Amino acid sequence: MTLWGRFRYWLRAITRRSRVESEMDAELRFHMETRAEDLARGGVARDEALRRARIEFGGVELAKEECRDARGGNFFDTSFRDLRYGARTMLRAPGFTATAVMALALGIGANAAIFSVVSAVLLRPLAYNEPDRLVTLLHDGSNPVAVANYTDWRDQSRSFEAMGAAEYWTPNLTGIDNPEHLWGLKVTQNLFPMLGVEPLLGRWFVPGEDRAGAEHEVILGYSLWQRRFAGDRNVLGKTVALDGEAYTIVGVMPSDFKFAPFWATRAELWVPDAFGDRIFKRTGNSLRVFARLNPGVTIAQARAEMETITARLEQQYPGTNREVEVTPLRENVVGKIEAPLLVLLCAVGFVLLIACANVAHMLLARAAAREKEIAVRTALGAGRIRLVRQFLTENLLLSAVGGCAGLLLAIWGIHALVALTPASIPRVGTVTVDARVLLFLFGITALTSVVFGLAPAMRASAVNLGDTLKQSGRGSSDGIRRNRLRGFLVASEVALALILLVGAGLMIRSFVALESVDPGFNPHNVLSMVVSVAGSQEADPNRRPIFYQQLLERVRAIPGVQAAGGINHLPLFGDLWGWPFTIEGRPALRPGESAGGVYRIITPGYFDAMRLPVVQGRDISEADNATAPGVVIINQRAADRYWPGENPLGQRISFDIGTANPPTWLTVIGVVKNAKQGDWAARPMPEVYLATFQNSEYLSSTLSSYAYITLVVRAAGDPGAMTDAVKNVVWSFDHNLPISQITTMDAQVAYANAVPRFEMVLLGVFAFVALALAAVGIYGVISYSVSRRTHEIGIRISLGASRTQVLLLVVKQGMALAFAGSAAGLVGALWLSRLMGGLLYDVPPTDPTTFAAVAILLMIVALAASYIPARRAMRVDPMVALRHE
Amino acid sequence: MDKQLDLLQGTLDMLILKAVSLGPLHGYGILLRIQQISRDRLEIQQGSLYPALYRLERQGWIASAWGESENKRKAKYYRLTATGRRRFQTEAKNWNRMADVIEGILRTRPEEV
Repeated sequence: MTLWGRFRYWLRAITRRSRVESEMDAELRFHMETRAEDLARGGVARDEALRRARIEFGGVELAKEECRDARGGNFFDTSFRDLRYGARTMLRAPGFTATAVMALALGIGANAAIFSVVSAVLLRPLAYNEPDRLVTLLHDGSNPVAVANYTDWRDQSRSFEAMGAAEYWTPNLTGIDNPEHLWGLKVTQNLFPMLGVEPLLGRWFVPGEDRAGAEHEVILGYSLWQRRFAGDRNVLGKTVALDGEAYTIVGVMPSDFKFAPFWATRAELWVPDAFGDRIFKRTGNSLRVFARLNPGVTIAQARAEMETITARLEQQYPGTNREVEVTPLRENVVGKIEAPLLVLLCAVGFVLLIACANVAHMLLARAAAREKEIAVRTALGAGRIRLVRQFLTENLLLSAVGGCAGLLLAIWGIHALVALTPASIPRVGTVTVDARVLLFLFGITALTSVVFGLAPAMRASAVNLGDTLKQSGRGSSDGIRRNRLRGFLVASEVALALILLVGAGLMIRSFVALESVDPGFNPHNVLSMVVSVAGSQEADPNRRPIFYQQLLERVRAIPGVQAAGGINHLPLFGDLWGWPFTIEGRPALRPGESAGGVYRIITPGYFDAMRLPVVQGRDISEADNATAPGVVIINQRAADRYWPGENPLGQRISFDIGTANPPTWLTVIGVVKNAKQGDWAARPMPEVYLATFQNSEYLSSTLSSYAYITLVVRAAGDPGAMTDAVKNVVWSFDHNLPISQITTMDAQVAYANAVPRFEMVLLGVFAFVALALAAVGIYGVISYSVSRRTHEIGIRISLGASRTQVLLLVVKQGMALAFAGSAAGLVGALWLSRLMGGLLYDVPPTDPTTFAAVAILLMIVALAASYIPARRAMRVDPMVALRHE
Repeated sequence: MDKQLDLLQGTLDMLILKAVSLGPLHGYGILLRIQQISRDRLEIQQGSLYPALYRLERQGWIASAWGESENKRKAKYYRLTATGRRRFQTEAKNWNRMADVIEGILRTRPEEV
């Protein structure tokens, strides 16, 4: 037969199913009737002849089934029939179906939801052209670089197709209603072409626009364009005033453009960067350096080349080129979040496995009830493969329904999840149910049906025909092998649940440890906001100190305000800007080895407002003004590090040796407690606090990076309730002053610990679900076993077993499973919890307290889960039980 | 049991092809023809005859058409196709060669080894 002929045959086989089927019936009927006629001619009675013809022929249904297989096209036919049959079976047992579908939907939905986050955050490539070739060049992989180093690296390296740099710029948008403090970046002209992203409107900066004095073009981010320019397409060519200077709008970026995704995520405008006289500077590190590898150049080659270059520069300019790391951009973006997300994916996978195990032993129990049906089907000629296939089709149907419900659950869950996900996780705004998530969902649904269904299907199809058909009711004892399989399933559930509980327990312990860390200050009831004076009349160097002074006085006068102060940037706001200093009387050190500290500029009242205690010496006072001698307060870490065993009070330090003549000396007047700085879990670094009213940059520079103050207000009650009152005080001076970053210290602490909290909450939820499923599993198996053993228990009781003995008999059975599962789970947890090491704070991954607590919790739950059916067993009436069968 | 079935299947296919090579036959007729030419020495499972017929038809070696039987009933008649005829010839040749070889082996006496 030709290929076409075969196809037509096959097509006919499946399309004209009923006709082919009736033809087959007719053909077989003809055979038997003709045979009967032949027999009748030999002298057999007609009825007897027909009977004998049938016996000679053998199993008609079996032959038909084999004919259907031989004919081809039977696959779909059979599957369709199995599906219909499966659907009917499911509807006939609505309780079973609902429970199984719910368990599966929970498992599949949770997996799809977590996977959608993993997919968006980790798997989706960065939205730049060939993102795999993009790298960052930073000190220690994350710290900024000095301008002269960047230009040297750019000019001396061969590994990179292009190298560009960016630095923060936070100008005030002025000259229109509602002045606003904006987050932006100054970028080298070649940076955006290197990323390979097209602007939505307009163009990039062209070479020359980043020349000093020429840099007056701006590219807007989509959100800024929508917010301040109402998405006007004619915005190109218009000018805007940034920090009081005119900039021409030359382009608008598309809405999904984010740069750089790991650091300046809030940036929504970009201007060209002219380094000016900083071009020769190897201090004052402020640049983030980005580069694109040449095609074919590996990261190892680029690293080797950069090592040579920085080693040479380090010799030339000691202390300026240490620990320069070439890191793939992707690693900087998602490196930190990878482990927490993968742990969650693992955890949610475990939940699905537990759900599968639960459904599997439910199926086993049901298979026992279906033994009769299976025996009848076998007797009618169904082969074992055929039965397994039918069971698998039913399971697939079950998991498909579960998968659909899971999809709905996932869509709903993703909303909840995204709301719960800390904003500090990159790209979390892009989480959706996309094709990849659907594919994943489809895959796990199919896989699930095999995982939970194969063993029960194999077991169920291996029915002993004779025994089953002969027995009128249930057997007095259940098959040992089936019991063993069920026990194994439940023990696995217990083991998996224990691993999850250990994970959640460790996260909870770690989070409690994190939360109980003393931040040095008291974050409760503190309101903060940034008031920017750049571009306003208050920026005037003669007016600014008076404005700050009066502003603080009036804020302190608001009823309910206990204290108020000002600072340049608050702790935990991500700014760890440091500055090297020289200690009087000590030899000048090389740049990389000089003393230094996180650099904060404060007004009197700041320590009061933060409740950050001065442990030695005194606080900055109103008397420490521009005409008084310079003062500085240090933290305990700086005192220990730079004056170990000495009294730091009265010592003098200078930040401008070599740049100012004569240098400005600041006297250490106090030591404050160590306060949290950037990362919550990090050890505090040396920190210095200078007086705002003695600092010429913060008092006179018109640059927006200096012309602002962060107000810190301690309220008697809810700090958020003070917001309007404080804003009104600010605007009573000048209604055009931009106020931004209004937040509370509590919110900032929560933000700093958002990822651990997220991890803890989700792991906790998953562990709870796992525990509940495992409890249901134990309960199900024990109560099933009790119902199968009613007869036996009746005999035991009538032979004199006490109720307590019966109770113990049943409880022991449950506890044996729980013990076996827990033992396996403890081993697994010991092995797996190492993966969590990096997520834990101050808790070892093998923390004995957590392990013990979790094991005890699981035992209690297991005890409760087996106690309920055990009580039922205890109440068995031997008379009823024995008559029962 | 599976192995036996395989062997039987292969043989049954060839017997069917031989039976219909002599002229179109319906299923029952094929059964009778095989019993007749084997002089009742072969016992054929009637139930396994039809799956074999369907399989051979699917492979294109035989073709079927409805016709009227000798007892005036509608019956499905099978005939050998051109492909089937070629196939039958090769199969028969192979079978004969195989039978020769096996016979030779079985006749071998110990001293000949």
